[in-house]
Amino acid sequence: MKTLRVGAMLPFNHAACALAACALAACATSPFQRAGNADDIAGAVARSQPPAASGRSLAFLALAGAAGPRLAEYDLAASRLVWTQPADVTTRVEVGGSVLVHGGKGTTPNGELVARDLATGATLWQHPFPSSDHLYGYALDGDALFVVTRSAASPNKPVGVLAAYDARTGSLRWQALLPSARVAGPAVRGGVVAVPLESQYVLLYDGVTGLALGQVLSTEEAATFVRALPEGLFYGSRGIFLLGRDTARGSRHATGYLAAHLPAFVRPTYDTDRYRPEQNEYSALDRNRVLWRVAVADGRPQFRDGLAFVHDYRFFFAFDASTAALRWAYVSPEDAVASTDTGRSILFASANGEIAALDPITGARIYQAGLPGEVVRGATFDAEGFGPAATAAASSPPDLLASLTAIIADPDQRFPALKLFAIEELGRQPGREVTAKLLQILETEKTSPLAVQKAGEMLVARRDAGALDLLTAALRAHADYSTKRPAPPVEVLARAIGALGPLARAVAPDLDAHLRLPETSPAAAAEIAKALVQIGAGESVPALRDFLTMYRADPGYERDPTALVAAAEALLKLGGSTDRELLLFLAEEPHTAAGLRAHLSRALGETATAAK
Amino acid sequence: MAAGGVARATASQSPAPSQPQLEDAPHAARKSKGARGDKAGKGDRASRPGTPVLAADRVEALRLALVGADDDAAIEAAATLSASGAPGAAEPLCEVLAAGAAPARLQAVLDAMAKLGEAHQLRADQTTLDALSLYSGHRAPDVRRRALKALGTVNDPRATPPLLEALGDAASDVRAAAAEALAARHEGRAARRMFALLSMGDAGVAGPLAALATPDMVPQIAELTGTIDDGVIADALGDYVKRADVPDKLRIDVLRTIGGLSGAVATTALVDYVASVPAKEDRASKKEAQKLLDQRSASQ
Repeated sequence: MKTLRVGAMLPFNHAACALAACALAACATSPFQRAGNADDIAGAVARSQPPAASGRSLAFLALAGAAGPRLAEYDLAASRLVWTQPADVTTRVEVGGSVLVHGGKGTTPNGELVARDLATGATLWQHPFPSSDHLYGYALDGDALFVVTRSAASPNKPVGVLAAYDARTGSLRWQALLPSARVAGPAVRGGVVAVPLESQYVLLYDGVTGLALGQVLSTEEAATFVRALPEGLFYGSRGIFLLGRDTARGSRHATGYLAAHLPAFVRPTYDTDRYRPEQNEYSALDRNRVLWRVAVADGRPQFRDGLAFVHDYRFFFAFDASTAALRWAYVSPEDAVASTDTGRSILFASANGEIAALDPITGARIYQAGLPGEVVRGATFDAEGFGPAATAAASSPPDLLASLTAIIADPDQRFPALKLFAIEELGRQPGREVTAKLLQILETEKTSPLAVQKAGEMLVARRDAGALDLLTAALRAHADYSTKRPAPPVEVLARAIGALGPLARAVAPDLDAHLRLPETSPAAAAEIAKALVQIGAGESVPALRDFLTMYRADPGYERDPTALVAAAEALLKLGGSTDRELLLFLAEEPHTAAGLRAHLSRALGETATAAK
Repeated sequence: MAAGGVARATASQSPAPSQPQLEDAPHAARKSKGARGDKAGKGDRASRPGTPVLAADRVEALRLALVGADDDAAIEAAATLSASGAPGAAEPLCEVLAAGAAPARLQAVLDAMAKLGEAHQLRADQTTLDALSLYSGHRAPDVRRRALKALGTVNDPRATPPLLEALGDAASDVRAAAAEALAARHEGRAARRMFALLSMGDAGVAGPLAALATPDMVPQIAELTGTIDDGVIADALGDYVKRADVPDKLRIDVLRTIGGLSGAVATTALVDYVASVPAKEDRASKKEAQKLLDQRSASQ
């Protein structure tokens, strides 16, 4: 095992770096003069060959718990633990040909890089960073390691550095001074290294020589990440650019650009922000992310199977990337701390040591293994194409209604936006049972006000005449202190019934009953009055009259006469001449709430001709 | 409930600025109007010997005051009508309920009706029942409580359902009013719900439940010890043992249960029981209660 010090063993060769920069920039004033040159980018992409499939299916698990911090390699295909090594993993594991590299605490303020033998986990070398060097990221291409740092060796002028090492030995192969110190972590694919710079550039280098190959100028969207996949090199932030001739200038109109349509609760970032070194650590960002793969045809990428996947802690969703329609939802019993789209499965590791894979098309669990009793902090997968055939142990595809209901009913308070989404999705599903579930949500005391509002909106919007009996039954369940039964959600029920129009007329007596109950809020009374008009409930006139007279002089309605006004309006529309006389009496009687009197005076005047 | 609408029934009778004329007023309204027509108190009760009589012009004056602009005058008129105990005194009060009023006036009217009811001067007509039932569902607990109290005095089975329903009211004093009315009506159907309320610690139903409880409920009440306040149990059992229909042997068991309860309410229940037994009556239960009291004193 060797310990290397960057500052001591790998001094910057400024002359070589300058030469490399000049080759691209022709020694012009700006180092970015060729930024956006499509020919350069096309040439670089042509050099980048798809990596040969390793055929491996490994999971590297950063473990915590009673046994202390460790790193474990788990063979997914064989469902066995390959090795475990004591390791305090800081930044995420990257896997090469026969080596893996991760960050460690080390003894210096800025930590160290640690390389391990893939077969045994034994440490090959450690690479401490002096206080002047800050690690931004690293990537492996076979056993070549590429590291981006910002070096502040000269206090007033930090510089960005891309360095290439032999990953097995830790020896330097080359290094390049980047044109800016605003650097980000790299990605490497088939001999081409991509480094985001200054948020809008992606610089491409030959992995073997360090020669600059091209510069992307992202004109419409920040380039906060670069990512290497078998299907190509990608960059972007809120969308994805497939590196190529047409994306050399980062236009969203380019055929190489794509972004999924996703619901509002999703944080639509397609990878970690490589400008933020802390995002190299295993963190909550690994538990809340978009998973994606693409299929490329004629240089035009499309989301594979038209799907984009969302990992949100314990929940996984598949969305139609073009419509945001939910295809499936999977609920894991534990937080998934890491996940990846292998191209053939959605693979994840849970905090309790479970490792599982889901069928990307159906959401069925097609693989399950793990390390029971372990505490998993984070994980990296080297399992391209891992997608075991479903066995007898596989689960059936998750039932969408059951998954959505489980999300809504989950007592975990961390996901308010997700719950609103689940309620909305639930409301979009057909069937009486959905109406029943929405009613259940509305009647559950622990439901948050926002969730109640959303469930109410969905209940009203679905206009489920086939579930009128359910609405009626809900309405009939009056509050009862002696049986601890709360009042039904009358306001929403009235709106939902009103939305059904005359089809719901039979419910009028049940609505009337609530006008006469003490627990009926003024807001609910107003909705009842409106609903009675919508369903054309002429038989409800007596209840409206009773409500109006009972409360017309109530000081509570003096402040806000909305309910009285709604009842008066309903009486005007549903009642006859006798009711106009009552309204006239109320309009003129001095004890009547001023707001109602004013409204009645106006309304009676406006409808006088029609009444005649 | 007010199938025809209480407002429709009697709002027409108020001397409001523009009085709606209800040609198609339902049965209850016409009946009420008819009643107002014989202001002097013609009708079955008017002929009863000893029934107070209020002059027709006096009733009319009070009616005008009831529906007039002056709240104080209206409240005073309600009190006068109730104090008169006169037949026909209820009709102007019902008119106020039908036309609606501010809470203070409503409360005075309902109190007056309850008083008339207690004097057996509240007729069990549909208008009265509808009006009181309607206001037993008012949003203000003070109004509901008074409406239920008045309803409880109406000797008609149609008054019972709203009282039973009010046992589920959210306000404890409203539940208590309903429970008391039901107990006074010996409404056995209410006992189970009252027990449910007692098991939730609802002190307001302790007395009424004691009046309605069957012997098989007594052990169940005793078993609530430790789950609700001892005072509530002592209250219920204390009232129960005072009932004349309870066998003395059962009284002794109940008194012993009370003796095992902590707090001043249990002591008071024992004292009350001893005091409730006529001095000359030699009851074993009385001796037991006295013994339990002596033991409580000794243990202080």
